[in-house]
Amino acid sequence: MPARATRIAMVDFFLEPLREAFFQRAVLAIIFSGLTCACLGAYVVLRRMAFISTALTHSILPGVVGAILLGISPYGGALAAALFTAGGIAWLATRRHTSEDSAIGVMLSVMFAAGIALMSAAQAWRDFTSLLFGSIVSVGPTDLIVIGLTTVVILFGLRLLHKELELASFDEEYAQLLGARPALLRGILLVLMALGAVACVRLVGALLTTALFVIPAATGTLLGRTLPQVMGWALLCAVGGGLSGLYLSYHVPGVPSGAGIVLCCAIPYLGARLRAGSREG
Amino acid sequence: MKAAPWWSTLSGAGFGLFPAIPYAAPDQVDCHGIAIVAEGLSAAARPAGPVAFSEASFAIPCGCRTALIGPNGSGKSTLLRVLAGLIAPQSGKVQVLGAAPRLGRARVAYLAQRPRLTDPFPLQVWRLVQMGTYAHHGWFEECHHGDEAVERALRLLGLTDLAERPVGTLSGGQLQRALLARAAVQGAEVLLLDEPFAALDQESREIVERFLFAADAHFTVVMATHDATDLVRFDRILALRQGQLTTTHACTGHPHRHG
Repeated sequence: MPARATRIAMVDFFLEPLREAFFQRAVLAIIFSGLTCACLGAYVVLRRMAFISTALTHSILPGVVGAILLGISPYGGALAAALFTAGGIAWLATRRHTSEDSAIGVMLSVMFAAGIALMSAAQAWRDFTSLLFGSIVSVGPTDLIVIGLTTVVILFGLRLLHKELELASFDEEYAQLLGARPALLRGILLVLMALGAVACVRLVGALLTTALFVIPAATGTLLGRTLPQVMGWALLCAVGGGLSGLYLSYHVPGVPSGAGIVLCCAIPYLGARLRAGSREG
Repeated sequence: MKAAPWWSTLSGAGFGLFPAIPYAAPDQVDCHGIAIVAEGLSAAARPAGPVAFSEASFAIPCGCRTALIGPNGSGKSTLLRVLAGLIAPQSGKVQVLGAAPRLGRARVAYLAQRPRLTDPFPLQVWRLVQMGTYAHHGWFEECHHGDEAVERALRLLGLTDLAERPVGTLSGGQLQRALLARAAVQGAEVLLLDEPFAALDQESREIVERFLFAADAHFTVVMATHDATDLVRFDRILALRQGQLTTTHACTGHPHRHG
């Protein structure tokens, strides 16, 4: 019976990869990172911090390469570099005659150039493709623990400060009037973004991590009417897109997992965009 | 007002471990006689900018509705922002409810002429009004009281039917009313309003006037305005002109506020 054969083929399509340990780890990594990216990304998109998130994720490159050259933990190096970038931007942006926009531009290009320089210094003995473009299939047990822990820390922080972050993102002056320190909240958000970037870089690489912050949350803002709804839709988009991209790269040889994940996340965005557009029109 | 979603117990677990820290120390002093008093006050809109007004001295009794008039650029907004604690004065003394202006006071509310709100932002009107209760919640706490105050404020400002609407779809007048409702929920006694009527249609204007000038409203109002037609409504008029401030019209005030 052809119908039955098709059904078996479908089940195999989904279940067969799950028998492999590397694939199970990849699925878990996508769920954790999806949670992180959806909830943090909502603030990134609503507060228009997409550019600064690009700077943070790109600065992971010199962090990891430098850490490998020095022989210390790549995660520590990545986090240090991301925090250094955030601090550098904050410092530059408070100087006279420098807007935050150009401060981000300066730090982003300087850090990325430093990364390229360090990479060619280390080229003799290492291949950094997976760092640039991601390699979710190589997520090991240690990576999974790091990703899981960061997710817990980020979600807990966002939950604890939910109403303050919502208020300061919507009406900064009112937050200031109530005494809720919007500048401090922004700093906390930047630290959480640095943590999130470090956790997500294994999935899609330093060049594309910012896509995971922006695309699912941008889908969420098109569909949700409250902040928790936006985060819920973003989570659906991130995990759905992530898993689709993973299966795509498993079954279609030649499609890299990082690019597959980002492309699959863009499909729900396109759908939501068209739907929102037709409602407006 | 809103039924808690099913996941709120889950995501709220562990909150009891964290002490709720207030945004600022509460001020307990009651409003006795004089709500706002300034002496030789000078201030600039920006820290190193030119002086907007200088040597201003005035007093506003509790419950007094004060109009702040003057041409564009005469320093009305700067004066309101000084009273709100957003700008430090360059010189002189000023007291609001018995203390120097500072941030984090629930009893003082300030409404900018053009509030800089993030748009688009996924927020419904009732949640915007609920933000007023944050003054009584503090850090790390989820909102768990003040729902009646939110409903009352929504009703007072004619927003009950709009409670579920996204903030981004409101008209200028409706938004202004929602922000006033938030100030009421906050428990503000001193309202510093920067041209609140500038964006209002007739319907919103009537609702706002009823809210501000109601006989039983316990507000001390300082309102920057361009509208010369209804200055008779106010108890006192402060006029700013070329950096100088003059007070006219004695305040009859509201007897019940002169304890």
